[in-house]
Amino acid sequence: MSFETQAPHWEWYYIAIYFFIGGVSAGAYFIGSLLELLGSDKHRQISRTAYYLAFPLICVTPVLLIADLGRPERFWHLFFYTKEGIPYMNFTSPLSVGTWALLVFGGMSLLSFLNNLIIDGRLKSPALEGLFRHVPHKVYAVIGSFFGFFVAGYTGVLLNITARPLWASTDPLIGSLFIASAASTGAAAIALVMAWQKISSRDAIKEVVVFDRVAMVFELALIAAMIVVAGRYSAPLSKGLYGLIFWGGTVVIGILLPLGLYWYGRRPGAAGVSLTALAAVLVLFGGAMLRIAIVQAGQLQ
Amino acid sequence: MAKGMFVDTSICTGCKACQVACKEWNSLPGDPAHFRRVPDRPYRVAFNFTGDSYDNTVKLSATDWRHVRFIEQFNESRSEARWLFSSDSCKHCNDAGCLNACPVKAIVRTDMGNVFVQQDVCIGCKYCIPACPYGVISFSEKTGTVHKCTLCNDRIHNGLGTACAKACPTGSISFGEVADLRKKADARLARLKGLGFEKANIYGYNEAGGLNVFYLFMDRPSVYGQPEAPVVPQQRLMSSTAVTVASAVVVAAAAMISFRERGEKKKEEVKL
Repeated sequence: MSFETQAPHWEWYYIAIYFFIGGVSAGAYFIGSLLELLGSDKHRQISRTAYYLAFPLICVTPVLLIADLGRPERFWHLFFYTKEGIPYMNFTSPLSVGTWALLVFGGMSLLSFLNNLIIDGRLKSPALEGLFRHVPHKVYAVIGSFFGFFVAGYTGVLLNITARPLWASTDPLIGSLFIASAASTGAAAIALVMAWQKISSRDAIKEVVVFDRVAMVFELALIAAMIVVAGRYSAPLSKGLYGLIFWGGTVVIGILLPLGLYWYGRRPGAAGVSLTALAAVLVLFGGAMLRIAIVQAGQLQ
Repeated sequence: MAKGMFVDTSICTGCKACQVACKEWNSLPGDPAHFRRVPDRPYRVAFNFTGDSYDNTVKLSATDWRHVRFIEQFNESRSEARWLFSSDSCKHCNDAGCLNACPVKAIVRTDMGNVFVQQDVCIGCKYCIPACPYGVISFSEKTGTVHKCTLCNDRIHNGLGTACAKACPTGSISFGEVADLRKKADARLARLKGLGFEKANIYGYNEAGGLNVFYLFMDRPSVYGQPEAPVVPQQRLMSSTAVTVASAVVVAAAAMISFRERGEKKKEEVKL
């Protein structure tokens, strides 16, 4: 006799990929804004790359989210309770609070994107320049970082606050894991773009890589803790397709291998930049596999 | 005051009149038997029968708001047997996981205490589905929204009881004020205990903040497919949020240290 909770049947190519892209955008934005706040000129290249990444990426996510709805044309009900005609947020629902956070983060990343265009001389807008003169961009960066963390982490809390065995038993660690992964994949995305452009200094890329290593070690520790906390309920993550995706795709290819490559790339004479780029691609792959494994394994009957 | 149902499984006969009445009143389609040819048989064979006792729907779904479970218990030599029945539905929890999870206020509690899905508000995000500790609420591809038992919202707001309770021929399902039903349940439990049914128990006084639809079981709740200690997921919201915020702080601090340290090292090198 079974007493089963039901799976929501979220599609991996919508929800899990949203979790991943939202994480990359939020992670990149956080790194960019932190470096802007620390205020050193030599980090300018990094935060510039981060802001150019964050906004286009976050623009993709509402499309994915709305596509997975049963009634996509009603997506605006998330912001507005139609029966009373008032704005609505449900504080006990991570999905509701997270949607508002995504909106704020989207707005802040747009401002940062525009600010960058102005600084780079690609956009002339007296109105925006006036706005940034009255309220400095650093203010938006702080607000955006806060909501960026929210966007990166709420997706994990959202999974933890369910009755599905895998998601409930890993409580309260998925939020932390997704934040660590967002930081790591965000850093990897920045490093990849900087390596691609070839104009960036190797030192700047190295700094991003150093932080990426720290984030990945934290992520590994959280994965270990999660498996221990979940005990026998972690079984869906250890067998079958999702076992392969999780242990092979995320842990080996997405974390251990790039950690090794970063380590190897530190040595003088090693093929630094291309090696770093390869490692960054693997980190991004691992981040996507992490979301797919956890979101889909939790839905297995 | 809150209305609800008391399901006394000790006098259920498994007739499924409640399942039928529910489908009739709520205009829910049934899943027809599907037949197909198999080798070596001259006739078509049904392939979507469950083969699990007299169970025909297996679980609750968007179109099956009531489900009668059939539990066959045998001793080892199969010389003795007991056949248990229990009619299951949404329990209209006082602390409802689905209602807590709904981001658009599609799921509401009415003045009669029942948990109701407003079909014209639901966006089909499906987050309520894993939030229900009983696996009740379900998604319909046809409407793009979620559905579950409404406690016959239209009937009870017009002075009628629920359709299933009305149809029940043995009085196993009774509809009424939760307080009255609890008195009835306590009396029935005392009587069964007096008759020697030691394992008889009432399920739903404390689970999920109290269930407005509660049960008298003749065996452990898990035998009837109900979780022994259901947890309303949102009870963990604060701790889960706190740990996630702490991790965010750790990551932010790690970033600050890792970027700043290198900056300072560089300066030292320049000085040298």
